[in-house]
Amino acid sequence: MKLERITLENFRQYFGRQRLDFAKDKQHRVTVIHGVNGAGKTSLFLAINWCLYGEGVSNVGELISKEAIKLASSGENVEMSVELSFTHDGERYLVKRSRHGTKMFDGSIQVNSADEFIVMRILWDGQAQTIKNPIGTINAILPSNIRSYFLFDGEKIDGFAKPEAAKEVKEAIYLVFKLETLDRARGHLETAASDYRKELKTATSGELRGLLDEDEKAREELKRKEDRKAEIGIELDVARRKVADIEQRLREIQNVRFLQQQRDRIEQDLKVRRAELEDVQNQIRDITTTSYFTLVQPVIGRALHLLDEKRERGEIPSNIRRQFVEDLIAEMRCICGRPFTDGSPEHLRLLRIIDNTLPGALEDEVLDISATLRTFNGRAHRQRDDLTIHMKRRAELVDLIKDLDAEADDIGRRLKDSPLEEVSRLELQRQSFLADIDRYNTDTGSLARDIDSLKERISQLEKRIGQARKNEKKEKLLGIKFDLAQRAADAIKDMYQTYADDMRLRIEAKTKEIFKLLIWKDSHFQDVRLSPDFDLEVIDRYGRPARPELSAGERQVLSLSFITAMSRISEEEAPLVMDTPFGRLSSQPRNNITKFLPDLADQLVLLVTDEELRDQARANLEPRIGREYRLQFDSKTSCTRIEEVR
Amino acid sequence: MTDATPERDTVAIDSMAHDIYKQLTEGGNMLDVPFKTMKDVFMWAVCLGAQQGQKMPLTGKRISIFRWAQFDPQIDVPLLKAIAIAESGDVSILLRRNDILNIIEEYANAGIYELRARIFDEFGQPLWNLVSMVP
Repeated sequence: MKLERITLENFRQYFGRQRLDFAKDKQHRVTVIHGVNGAGKTSLFLAINWCLYGEGVSNVGELISKEAIKLASSGENVEMSVELSFTHDGERYLVKRSRHGTKMFDGSIQVNSADEFIVMRILWDGQAQTIKNPIGTINAILPSNIRSYFLFDGEKIDGFAKPEAAKEVKEAIYLVFKLETLDRARGHLETAASDYRKELKTATSGELRGLLDEDEKAREELKRKEDRKAEIGIELDVARRKVADIEQRLREIQNVRFLQQQRDRIEQDLKVRRAELEDVQNQIRDITTTSYFTLVQPVIGRALHLLDEKRERGEIPSNIRRQFVEDLIAEMRCICGRPFTDGSPEHLRLLRIIDNTLPGALEDEVLDISATLRTFNGRAHRQRDDLTIHMKRRAELVDLIKDLDAEADDIGRRLKDSPLEEVSRLELQRQSFLADIDRYNTDTGSLARDIDSLKERISQLEKRIGQARKNEKKEKLLGIKFDLAQRAADAIKDMYQTYADDMRLRIEAKTKEIFKLLIWKDSHFQDVRLSPDFDLEVIDRYGRPARPELSAGERQVLSLSFITAMSRISEEEAPLVMDTPFGRLSSQPRNNITKFLPDLADQLVLLVTDEELRDQARANLEPRIGREYRLQFDSKTSCTRIEEVR
Repeated sequence: MTDATPERDTVAIDSMAHDIYKQLTEGGNMLDVPFKTMKDVFMWAVCLGAQQGQKMPLTGKRISIFRWAQFDPQIDVPLLKAIAIAESGDVSILLRRNDILNIIEEYANAGIYELRARIFDEFGQPLWNLVSMVP
């Protein structure tokens, strides 16, 4: 930032509109503003701060010119403003902050709402473009929290050199070199890492591994069972083929052929009967599972009784629809065709029926349900009859199957006991294979049940694994986030330390260089150190810390050296605006400072008393002064006028 | 029940009874698992409860197991309405499906335990035990 011009309007003692241009070329970069005590140097210094940063810059008190308020009429609007133009990074900016007030009848001023603050950028074609985020823009150019190191009050200039100032020094370095940003980033990352660590602790762990083990075992078990079932299936086919082969062989043996043929017929019959039995049992099942209504015959009876009772009381028509009754009344004719007269018993009865009839929908329901329920008795009889018939047929089939089984057994026994050795052996083998087939069937059934159960278990496990995977994914993500946050925090911490140390050493070297230039007892002070704890120390010729013994002027020089060193190292393009900088200095240090300071700042604005800048000091600055003003305080009006001297 | 209450479309059972419904319907062997549908189990349970005059409010979590439309309009619906009329003594209940459902669900909630006991806890195969229950 390089200041161009400031325009004040009714700001404190600056009544009306007054303007001041700042020196800014390389050779003539010093602006000197003279003023006796109370002339308005501090107000001008304050105007720059207020314009850029608004309230809160310090205890500003009343800002609107008392003279302007006095001259305004009651109810008249009074405007106060400060305009500042400056360049920064090749761009030109106009900043205006203003405040409006209305003069009250008692002479006081009622300030209207908040200050107006606008920042405009001047484009290449001279057009002004309003910036939508003025506060952000100013803070980006010269952050509010570091401004006091560039726009500073001479009264406080020795602050950094006081023995207890380590904290301030550290803070200044933090702010100017943006170490604060790094430190904040480290803090945020450590907080994030801590949050992730806590979350990780509550996240599930190890569950997925256990479930996957369980799933793997279940799948291995399933595969074993399925393989075994397939093997049994093959063995079953083999056994059936063997039985078929044996039976074929028995059909070929002359003496027993008829027995085998008889057995073939029995087996065929058994197959048919068993299929019929299955079918009958299915029908029994269908009849039985829908026979529930037979249980509640008495309840149906009670419901019908209730419906009948209501009908007998005339509350429900006996199957006579309302429309039909209305038609009879319209025709004045009885249901039997006989006409009746108005008020006759028939007429009155029909009218009563109409009065008692139910609403349409309910009437329909009542009629339908009454009719349906009356069929339930017959339906129950039919259901029972069907069930009896099917149960009887089932019993017949069971007996028939038993008989056929007995016949087949008998044939088997006869073949086994056959005197023909081959026949006996074949039948024994057949029976052995049939036993195997039974066993295989049992095993297959058992395996099928196990397989179903395993599949169900695997399905359940898959669901649980899916959920656990989600949890684990979250866990992994958390782990990565935690690791990243912690490593980033550690890296920033290292970076911060390295950067801070580097900055500290560079500032130390530069402060020493400047201090040596500015101080008059350069041979007495041998060194300037900035310790890792940010203690700014001066070492005397005896190698001992000399800060406690520094005079006020020497402390001021040390502070100034530190500030200008920071300004040089930070490479921030900012002016040094110093209010009453040499008040405590004797002529020699003042001479030194005025000799070297213009080269240590890009732009120097000095608000001084005549006493502060005279003789050699004045002569030193002379070739570098670009602009010079005098603040003329009028004791009659208590107003200050800015007079251009050069 | 007010007219403003929307008509229920689903039939609910108590969650505690859900396993019995599954036990009576899930499986391949008709002799051991006689029922094909939960609707038939529910109807048997309702009729057993109504036959014995036993109702039990649904106090646990309610589970909807099928829709009203699954009831046979020729047999189930008139039967359930008859049970509701007999229970309430009020013919107008015919137009209040929610009241009918509340009554039959409570009968089913009592009847289901009786049904399970008669089918599974007695000697014999479940299908023949069920057959023996038909009067």
